[in-house]
Amino acid sequence: MNVKEIKKDFPILKKKIGANDLVYLDNAATSQKPVQVIEAIKDFYENHNANVHRGIHTLSEEASDMYEDARAVVAAFLGAAHPEEIVFTRGATESLNMAAFSWGNKNLKKGDKILLTVFEHHSNLVPWQIVAKNTGAELMYIKTGAQGEIDMAEYEKNLSPEVKIVCIAHASNVFGTVLDIKEMTRKAHAVGAVVCVDGAQSAPHIPVNVQSLGCDFYAFSAHKMLGPMGVGVLYTKKNLMENMIPCQFGGGMISEVSHKSAEWASPPEKFEAGTPDVAGAIGLSAAVKYLEKIGMEEVRKHEVELNKYTIEKLQSVEGIKIIGPKDPVKRTGLVSFYSEKVHAHDIASVLNSSGVAVRSGHHCAMPLHTELGIAATVRASYYIYNDHSDIDKLVEGVKKALKMLS
Amino acid sequence: MLDLYREEIMDIYKNPSRKGRLSDANVTTAKKNPMCGDDISVQMKVEKGVIKDAKFDGSACLVSIVASEVLLDFLVGKSLKEAKSVTKEKLLDMLKLNLTTTRVGCATLALTAIQKAIEEHEEK
Repeated sequence: MNVKEIKKDFPILKKKIGANDLVYLDNAATSQKPVQVIEAIKDFYENHNANVHRGIHTLSEEASDMYEDARAVVAAFLGAAHPEEIVFTRGATESLNMAAFSWGNKNLKKGDKILLTVFEHHSNLVPWQIVAKNTGAELMYIKTGAQGEIDMAEYEKNLSPEVKIVCIAHASNVFGTVLDIKEMTRKAHAVGAVVCVDGAQSAPHIPVNVQSLGCDFYAFSAHKMLGPMGVGVLYTKKNLMENMIPCQFGGGMISEVSHKSAEWASPPEKFEAGTPDVAGAIGLSAAVKYLEKIGMEEVRKHEVELNKYTIEKLQSVEGIKIIGPKDPVKRTGLVSFYSEKVHAHDIASVLNSSGVAVRSGHHCAMPLHTELGIAATVRASYYIYNDHSDIDKLVEGVKKALKMLS
Repeated sequence: MLDLYREEIMDIYKNPSRKGRLSDANVTTAKKNPMCGDDISVQMKVEKGVIKDAKFDGSACLVSIVASEVLLDFLVGKSLKEAKSVTKEKLLDMLKLNLTTTRVGCATLALTAIQKAIEEHEEK
């Protein structure tokens, strides 16, 4: 993988922050976009823009074909059995809300249990809290170890026959820990539970095959994997899609409407009411093609190496504590850390003054930070355009912040 | 560079005189910043509608600490009515920190906490 060449595809990486080069290490929040993605979106609006479906004219056919091609590209990227299993949404949050409301409201009842990890992002937690309130189902949490690891024996103990759905992140956005979804799904299926995976932190970084993982739902956002903001995907296993109620209604999602009632179209249209973000889906498709050209195995190898380097370097800084697994292979491309003396926001501010962009806060995992007893952490997360020199600048900045403020 | 971390600000940050616990407080509250997990508690001693003393405590960043310090210094000796009338804009004006949008939330944490405490106190 040639990082120097890759960098050239990302116009924003030429930007200066004050007098410094931008060092972008906030990829777990959103990634930057290569010119290939920006051009694909521009090309749609300049040459093919029309509303999709049912249009007879040439432009509408072009737009419809491009939109459905994008669906097929995403299906292949995820290893889905059928393109219809891919529903385009506004992002992982909307995808998880859709799983919760379309599946949960229809299939859960009083006495049922929803099993989650303690480190779920708010987007794979709050929708289930609401569904639990609506249906009378109960939320239960799998305890994790200090590094976010799941003890399989503990997990199995929680898997009673009342558990109807297991909601888990493929990779934690705070610890970075990558979970064994395949094994967890196998065990969940054994008690008759379905599995809803938040793939926001895995789809961009780790080779994913939903059929091999076996999970029933898999959600992710385009914008974290080189694609545009405002587009995401919910993969749903085909056999579940019939037994789900749409959560948005209107044009594009019906087969027949009378004054009194309506019948739904077949999936995926059933779940895509209104005009979709066609340019966004095309942008996502271009992003997928860009990543596939590099190869997801290569992306993963690159990030494991950066994990190793970051952990080594940060461990040598006195006063810095790293959270999550020390083994670089056990985490996705991010490292979160904190100082007991200097607040994460202040470390991030000082880093910004050297052009280094990181995230500080609780990263939308408030219950987890409360449990850890840490108000906020600094999170450095990388992607294909980051290299060792970026990590060096990060570590330099952290040292500077500690010196100034403690 | 690093206007935020200039010397007089650093002095307050390193030795905030109003950080700690007030043993004879009669108006207290705690406020969390949902954006960053910061947690500020404020204790005030109020007599006949006037703030006689005040302290803050908790886990917070530089902006939060400095803003709490400046705000409490300003409020001691003022009436509850005056305290309630302090707006976000007035506080930011007192601070002169040239804050980015995100960190305005850090600065106003103590103010929100105090106003909530006063409201609760008046409802009693």
